[in-house]
Amino acid sequence: MPETPLELRVRIGGEAGFGIKAAGQMLARTFAHEGYEVFDLTEYPSLIRGGHNTYLLRVSSEPVYSHVEPVDVLACLNRETLDRHEGEVVDGGAVIFDPDDFGADAVPGRLRAVPVPLTAIARETGGKIMRNTVALGAVLGIVGFPLDPLADALRRQFAKKAPEVAEGNVAAAQAGYDAARAACPDFFVTLAPRPGAPERLLVDGNEAIGFGALAAGIGFYAAYPMTPASSLLHFMAAHERSAGVVVKHTEDEIAAMNMVVGAAFGGTRAMCATSGGGFSLMVEAFGMAGVSESAVVVGVFTRPGPATGMPTWTEQSDLRFVIHAAQGEFPRVVLAPGDRTDAFELTWRAFNLADQLQTPVVILGDSYLSDNRQTVPPFDLAGVTVERGKLLAEGDASAIPEALNDEGLYLRYKVTGDGVSWRVLPGVRGANQLGNSYEHDERGFGAPGEDAAVRTQQNEKRMRKLDLARTLVPPPAYFGAPPGEADLGIVLFGTTKGPAREAARMLEREGVRIAIMQVVTVWPFPAEEVAAFMDAAPKTAVVEGNYAGQLESLVREHALRAPDARLHRYDGRPFSPEQIVRFVKEVL
Amino acid sequence: MPTADELKQHALKPTWCPGCGNYGMYRALTEAIEELGIERERLVMVWGIGCHGNGADFYDVQGFHGLHGRALPLATGIALTRPDLTVIVEMGDGDGYGIGGNHFIHSVRRNIDMTAIFHNNQIYGLTTGQASPTSDQFMRTPSTPGGVIEEPVNPVGVAVAQGATFVARGFAGDIPHLKELYKRAISHRGFSVVDVYQPCVTWNKVNTFSWFRERVYKIEDLPDYDPTDRTKAFDLSMSTFHELTCAPDECRVPIGVFFEDEDSFTYQDGLPQLDRPMWKHAEAPRDIAEMLGPYRV
Repeated sequence: MPETPLELRVRIGGEAGFGIKAAGQMLARTFAHEGYEVFDLTEYPSLIRGGHNTYLLRVSSEPVYSHVEPVDVLACLNRETLDRHEGEVVDGGAVIFDPDDFGADAVPGRLRAVPVPLTAIARETGGKIMRNTVALGAVLGIVGFPLDPLADALRRQFAKKAPEVAEGNVAAAQAGYDAARAACPDFFVTLAPRPGAPERLLVDGNEAIGFGALAAGIGFYAAYPMTPASSLLHFMAAHERSAGVVVKHTEDEIAAMNMVVGAAFGGTRAMCATSGGGFSLMVEAFGMAGVSESAVVVGVFTRPGPATGMPTWTEQSDLRFVIHAAQGEFPRVVLAPGDRTDAFELTWRAFNLADQLQTPVVILGDSYLSDNRQTVPPFDLAGVTVERGKLLAEGDASAIPEALNDEGLYLRYKVTGDGVSWRVLPGVRGANQLGNSYEHDERGFGAPGEDAAVRTQQNEKRMRKLDLARTLVPPPAYFGAPPGEADLGIVLFGTTKGPAREAARMLEREGVRIAIMQVVTVWPFPAEEVAAFMDAAPKTAVVEGNYAGQLESLVREHALRAPDARLHRYDGRPFSPEQIVRFVKEVL
Repeated sequence: MPTADELKQHALKPTWCPGCGNYGMYRALTEAIEELGIERERLVMVWGIGCHGNGADFYDVQGFHGLHGRALPLATGIALTRPDLTVIVEMGDGDGYGIGGNHFIHSVRRNIDMTAIFHNNQIYGLTTGQASPTSDQFMRTPSTPGGVIEEPVNPVGVAVAQGATFVARGFAGDIPHLKELYKRAISHRGFSVVDVYQPCVTWNKVNTFSWFRERVYKIEDLPDYDPTDRTKAFDLSMSTFHELTCAPDECRVPIGVFFEDEDSFTYQDGLPQLDRPMWKHAEAPRDIAEMLGPYRV
């Protein structure tokens, strides 16, 4: 039996091309619209058709931070779904299947067989393509949730097509609903609409990042398609005319990063995003952004590598790569959102940090963040600010005498106490801004940059910006019990936050208390805060989605602390809360 | 509006080798900018890496000295966000046609309104004399001691074939002619390609100033040449290919405007949202409340 009564976990599985994700998202939207919190997890191979796709949906009356392992309802659009996932279904859980695919005897006795003639119903109501809609109706039928909200959603979805398409889908859902209700009238979970629930947003990570960039005043976005960042390119392109953004699908990631540096030179808030492979191509120009002190934002949404790796799966194995990418030394900021609220907040803040520090800022996400949707409280739009730092966009350079030399010539790279020099945009009278990928003097000229003293001054000036960064970047975030009152303190970054928060909730019910420290700004590394957290906790662990323990290595190097235990995952799947619970119990 | 001298006034003195073809290009371009009357605040220059790129120190202008091979995308980022600026990009032959060849092809087909000048000395100068993508076949260099095996890139032909809307070739030894090419290229609405033969006096002992002087002729002197005929422009570009040891009367080198389409659809024409310098969108947070509508539950 499930632990919480008002919670439903559904997995829909079938071949790629069956419309699994689209159907699942409609179900998620239906429940979210009727007052529930939802979290979804789409798992699919790098194929357009064929292969095994699944969509996992968690519905709850409480806020949800991640997916969970158990499944209450397994909707099988093929036999493979049963074979692969029956073990996840809780005792008494329901298996929706088409008797044309396999017989009820294939369903283990501990589970509830719910035969629904998916294909036959779909054929009668419009076509085989609608099997997924029949299954959606069946899921609602099992839990006794009214069909009307889904019917409305279907009508909206197909509004642009012929009316009979929409009505065919509604009829398909109704028939599926009736068949499942007849076969399973007394399921252990029943859900009803929850009127009066507060307004929320249902977004995936890339949408949250896109909204953060739009709110920040982005004017240029460039990218080459790469999973899982491609949907951000689509999002930005969909808004390019209404919002006023130039969006460029480039010939490669090298071009994307160079274009973003060029756009930033002109004063435009500019961003590109990709995955680890695309970032590998961007690295040289990323370094140019560093030495030329360009205010750019780069999204790196990671997946298992190296090389092409596992394109549609998730991993946290590019932490060290992003922190060190490019030859030479220069300051950078790396922010790691843990959920969709973080993604929005950290993205608009990234643009401010890039401007204030005049250096590249990375948003380090992963597929688990990018691809999956979650209900979150409405974004805090009133809290968004635009901080452009030392920037003169219009007028005459005489307005900033401190940026001019004795001859009245503008010094783009003037050596300053905090390392930040005045940026004067092209178009301002009396100043020539010369950006340079070479080491350079204060005016930006390359040849004098080879002078030992000039090089030292410019290098130190740039690196001083890291000290300023430490005063500006978002601090770590803490969840669960305070470390001094916890049984175990866990240090993590990025999307491991969600499953860990769920684990904390599960453990709390069993009387075990964990403290969670999310390293939000992974660079510059918050060494003092990590050390204080680890010192306060009676026992410590680092949980991260890679083989080598990259976060732990940063902890050891900078906080000079060694955790007592560690949990790594590198099979392309995100951590589940249950996995973290098992780990914590082993450690304690 | 700056004079040619003012475009150099507060910059460093050029350090190119005595006699380098870059001097002629430098003079022709500064004079062209003066004669076009471009305001200093509206001009941006972008350089790649190579001997030409050291020019970033020698011009007193707004600009960016970018990465080897990446000047075009860097300049594209400026041109696609600052419609108020005139963008001129300088590149070398290895820079623009070799390591940056992918960007060359795609910049041409985009027809972004900017000017791309290629310093083509058919050799790698800054890295001491290796073969470049435009070195003649069988040329011996430190990286090709047995002679270059492959055919040279035909940049004019590639640009013409890829739909370029302005393609010209100049010679650094004929500064008045080159200056007029620059003026036409910069004034052209759309992507302008100017490939300039710029002899390297230190490393290229074959394609010297005198080699070119014996072979160049002006396209405008050809009877009945029509620079709006793309097929003819392509045919003429094929004279890029010649024997390394060809006699002056066997291989003639055309300079001038190969092709021009004065009324083309530029990339900027396809961007109605590019109605202002795009930094103006970041004067305050953008109101996204309405855009969030479809995501509200």
